[in-house]
Amino acid sequence: MSNVENQEIISKDKIFRRLLSYTKPHIKPLAIAFLVLLLATAADVVGPILIKTFIDDYLTPRVFDWNSITILAVSYLLLHFISVSFNFYQLLSFQRIALWIVHKLRVDIFSKVQYMGLNFFDNTPGGSLVSRITNDTEAIKDLYVSVLSTFVQNIVFLIGIIIGMFILDPQLAFYYLIFIPIIFLIMKVYRHFSSKIFHVTRKKISQLNAKLNESLQGMSIIQAMNQEERQKGEFNKINLALKNSQIKQIKINSLLVRPAVDLIYILALSMILSFFGIRSFQSPIEIGVLYAYINYLDRFFEPVNMMMFRLSQFQQAIVAAERVFGILDDQREAPTKIGTQNPVIDEGLIEFDHVTFSYDGKTEVLKNISFTARPGETVALVGHTGSGKSSIINLLLRFYPIKEGEIRIDGVPIEEYDNEELRKKIGLVLQDPFLFVGDVAKNIRLHNQQISVDQIKEAAEFVQADQFIKKLPGQYDEPVVERGATFSSGQRQLISFARTMAIQPKILVLDEATASIDTETEDAIQIALEKMRKGRTTIAIAHRLSTIQDADRILVLHHGEIVEEGTHHQLLAKGGLYHKMYLIQQGGLSLEKEINS
Amino acid sequence: MSIFKDLMWFFKLEKRNYLTGIFLLIIVSLINLIPPYIVGLFVDEIKVGTLTILKVIQYVGILILVGIFLYTFRYIWRLKIFGSAVKLSYTLRNRLYQHFTQLSPQFYHKRRIGDLMAHSTNDIQAIEGTAGEGVLTLVDSIAMGTLVILTMAITISWKLTLITLIPLPFMVWLTHYYGNLIHDRFFLAQDAFSRLNEKVQENIAGVRVIKAFGQEKEEIEEFKVQSADTVEKNIAVARVDALFDPTIQFIVGISFFLAISFGSYFVFQERLTIGQLTSFTLYLGHLIWPMLAFGWLFNIVERGRASYDRVVALLAVQPEINDKPNAKQIKPSGEINFNIHQFFYPETEIPTLKQLHFKLKQGETLGIVGKTGSGKTTLIRLLLREFDITDGDITIGNESIYNYKLTSLRSAIGYVPQDHFLFSASIAENIAFAKPNATVDEVEAAAKTAAIHKDILRFEKQYETIVGERGVTLSGGQKQRISIARALLMDSEILILDDALSAVDAKTEERIQKALKENRKDKTTIISSHRLSAIQHADLIIVLEDGNIIESGTHKSLMKDDGWYKTMYQRQQLESQIEEGGEENE
Repeated sequence: MSNVENQEIISKDKIFRRLLSYTKPHIKPLAIAFLVLLLATAADVVGPILIKTFIDDYLTPRVFDWNSITILAVSYLLLHFISVSFNFYQLLSFQRIALWIVHKLRVDIFSKVQYMGLNFFDNTPGGSLVSRITNDTEAIKDLYVSVLSTFVQNIVFLIGIIIGMFILDPQLAFYYLIFIPIIFLIMKVYRHFSSKIFHVTRKKISQLNAKLNESLQGMSIIQAMNQEERQKGEFNKINLALKNSQIKQIKINSLLVRPAVDLIYILALSMILSFFGIRSFQSPIEIGVLYAYINYLDRFFEPVNMMMFRLSQFQQAIVAAERVFGILDDQREAPTKIGTQNPVIDEGLIEFDHVTFSYDGKTEVLKNISFTARPGETVALVGHTGSGKSSIINLLLRFYPIKEGEIRIDGVPIEEYDNEELRKKIGLVLQDPFLFVGDVAKNIRLHNQQISVDQIKEAAEFVQADQFIKKLPGQYDEPVVERGATFSSGQRQLISFARTMAIQPKILVLDEATASIDTETEDAIQIALEKMRKGRTTIAIAHRLSTIQDADRILVLHHGEIVEEGTHHQLLAKGGLYHKMYLIQQGGLSLEKEINS
Repeated sequence: MSIFKDLMWFFKLEKRNYLTGIFLLIIVSLINLIPPYIVGLFVDEIKVGTLTILKVIQYVGILILVGIFLYTFRYIWRLKIFGSAVKLSYTLRNRLYQHFTQLSPQFYHKRRIGDLMAHSTNDIQAIEGTAGEGVLTLVDSIAMGTLVILTMAITISWKLTLITLIPLPFMVWLTHYYGNLIHDRFFLAQDAFSRLNEKVQENIAGVRVIKAFGQEKEEIEEFKVQSADTVEKNIAVARVDALFDPTIQFIVGISFFLAISFGSYFVFQERLTIGQLTSFTLYLGHLIWPMLAFGWLFNIVERGRASYDRVVALLAVQPEINDKPNAKQIKPSGEINFNIHQFFYPETEIPTLKQLHFKLKQGETLGIVGKTGSGKTTLIRLLLREFDITDGDITIGNESIYNYKLTSLRSAIGYVPQDHFLFSASIAENIAFAKPNATVDEVEAAAKTAAIHKDILRFEKQYETIVGERGVTLSGGQKQRISIARALLMDSEILILDDALSAVDAKTEERIQKALKENRKDKTTIISSHRLSAIQHADLIIVLEDGNIIESGTHKSLMKDDGWYKTMYQRQQLESQIEEGGEENE
């Protein structure tokens, strides 16, 4: 048990150190801010000593040395002014540095996520990823603000006060040190109890957010099915649990933080009074020292309160940091380029050479797949769901690393291409036409600023998306809301087609893109695709006869294997699948006509 | 401060807690006056030399007693006031959620979920701060501040008190000024953060597109710019935030300086003892917190104000779809009569639907086909009252759907939307979504009709398998079929399938069609589809184009006309043959 606890402490320590390592690039401004903090604190601590001098040397003995008193007064004001302005500087500096560190951390984790492989996204829920990138880093921001600002500042201030106490009266200062371990003890006890409650609260908050998020997404279903009351009840249950946990937290905070620290203040005051009282029986004492001591004491406990207050944030931040680092250390990165050469895709020759693949390392979804698509050819992949069509495309796009076999484009293994080259030359039309918030033009162009407005229009015309775009009030500037909800699924798909055409790829990959477009719209797209296919190698997951019959080669997949292969006519001649279909069609529409058209 | 007025409804609700809390806070302020007084007496006795051991014990004893009382009272008022504040955010969250359930789809089209989430979390937190720390700082700054000032003036010297208080109005003015600055800047910072959140949400959702188009670098650049913008906005807040403490430190320091200088002058003149001066400066120390509280009060209140305004604005959004005042609470039943002259989506100028007039007898099946964007889904949305018809009416059993209560209308309709959405719950819970107390048999029966039962049994945990955002990944077809089972379990008078079989293969579709026919005898079914095989058995088929009916009839009659329907049907027949041929290869 203690071993586990120990390890936990060690790992927390590691996380904390790793977090601190982010301060490295800011070491210079940090050092300056720290120096300014020291000066501000020193100026602040000297104040009571000046007053003590005034009380003991001038006020009590009733000495009117106006010159000296003026010098004391002026230096007091000067020091005060220095302390105030320096404090402003250091407060702002620490906050600024903290914010930029969190910025760096945010960009780091966001960048990392961008280059993660798809198997990572397959296994990580989107909501939690978003939470890692924004909310957890926000929690870490609190850590930097509290550690850099509150802890460093207050510890420096406390040390300053203790030094001031030693200067005034070493013996009393020594007694006073007893309170330091007591304060630490309370902090430890508090940490121990609060961490558990805190954990529960955090969990409830994330449950609450998940519930809310899901309800908002599925509100139309909730309403259509009259389940508002039940959902309210479920939400209320989590909400109530959160409330109860928060009240527990208030209790523990009240028992151990501010009220407790205030009690210690009273005890410390009692001790100082007793000390001076008892000493006064033996020898006359300097009232100024007593005064300055009480003055210091008055200011000693506010920093302690501040630090206690931040302790819980500290824990929360460590947990958040653990999660963030978990992603930063994740090994499931997208496959990247191997080798130093910069091969270029000119021809578009695709070769699958004995490719075997599995997503989970257990079930093989592709078995020993070999085929060639010569430049300009169209290869149609036919087969039902789970036959491995999508996996072929996923591998060709280098979304997943290949385990066995090799895929070559223009004779070069795909591992050796630059990511940029692959993405520029292979145009993918996805099953799910995802649209980004912005406008229509932005959704076609994405971030490629070199694609001109004319090229955007050209691409849209190509896929005949321009017909409906022109009818929109804003045309190409028509705003697109979250996920393109104001467009129909067919319109979304047309826009995503135009997006693919805009990059003018060498190789075209169609992933069931035509599945949910209605047949008539597809006509238009077929014409466009025909044009597009000219001079481009095309790999298509196809359901439609028109796509299939135009293909130079048809691969019929079944359970990850190619079971039939050939052209339309060859397959018909083989007497297999196509032949059967031909016979069925005898009574209806003339297939001959379809084939030959 | 108007925020406190706006929150009065809640303070009244929690009257006892707040009154007890505030009463104890004032008691604490009173007891707090004792220690400085004792210190003053103590110093004077040392100076004069009248201090004895007994007196030391007495003084210290009183101090410790004071400490214990303070500890107890402080614990209680915290629990009362902060506990109530927690209750407030609990109440507000429930209220927001309740409100969300009433708003119509139009609202969700316009507002981003990330934004709505931010209102329910960050803003409510800021309001909670107002009801907790806000109240505390208000009471403390007024009660404690007044008490301390009165004590200083009455027991020590009113002249000295007046002199040392001179700098105070500046603090009031400055903290108020900072508060205003913070208000605006904080709003911008919150806004930037919520936009950053949205950016990430979209990025993660669109990861496949981003990867396929190699947009990672550009996305990172865009994120960097946005994150840096968030930083800048936060630094703008920090700039004012960093002014608060030093300003207060500065003004307190000046007060202190005045107290010592003029106090010493009074001591020289023997109008004051040195012990009194010590007490006085200690009291001045006790003024720091009320002053800080005063500064924070503005800070907290401004933040609370901004957030409360946003939440209230959200709560004020009126649901676009409402019950008529005397709407009937009976389940609609009978013939459905569509009489739509025109329908415009809000803020559009071109009608989405025009002159749709047709009848559907009870128990009949309607098939709606047509191109993308021809108005199929819109027609369904009107029947579900997701939107209200601009010009025209739909009646069920000779009664306009607008004369029924919304809940009654919806309970009569089982709906399978195009975008199948499943909740993070078990498959059984998802299927029983509309009828949570459904028996296992009912759930399984619905699953069987939707041809998903066998798929479910293949999962390790079967019906207890968790799906949705945080569960196993299902194929589109599986999701669609679960979504169908969910609607079937309602056993509703009307069933609507909005292109709900698009990801299901032809054979499975046929099985579902057959099962539906058996299970839904004498019940009305409306099917919109791209695949004509899904509607060919319908009693009435309408073909839509640009919101108009261009063809209508039964499969038989439409096949006789040489129109759109016939052409499409023949083409699709051919295509499905290939698929089926592929299946035979198994």
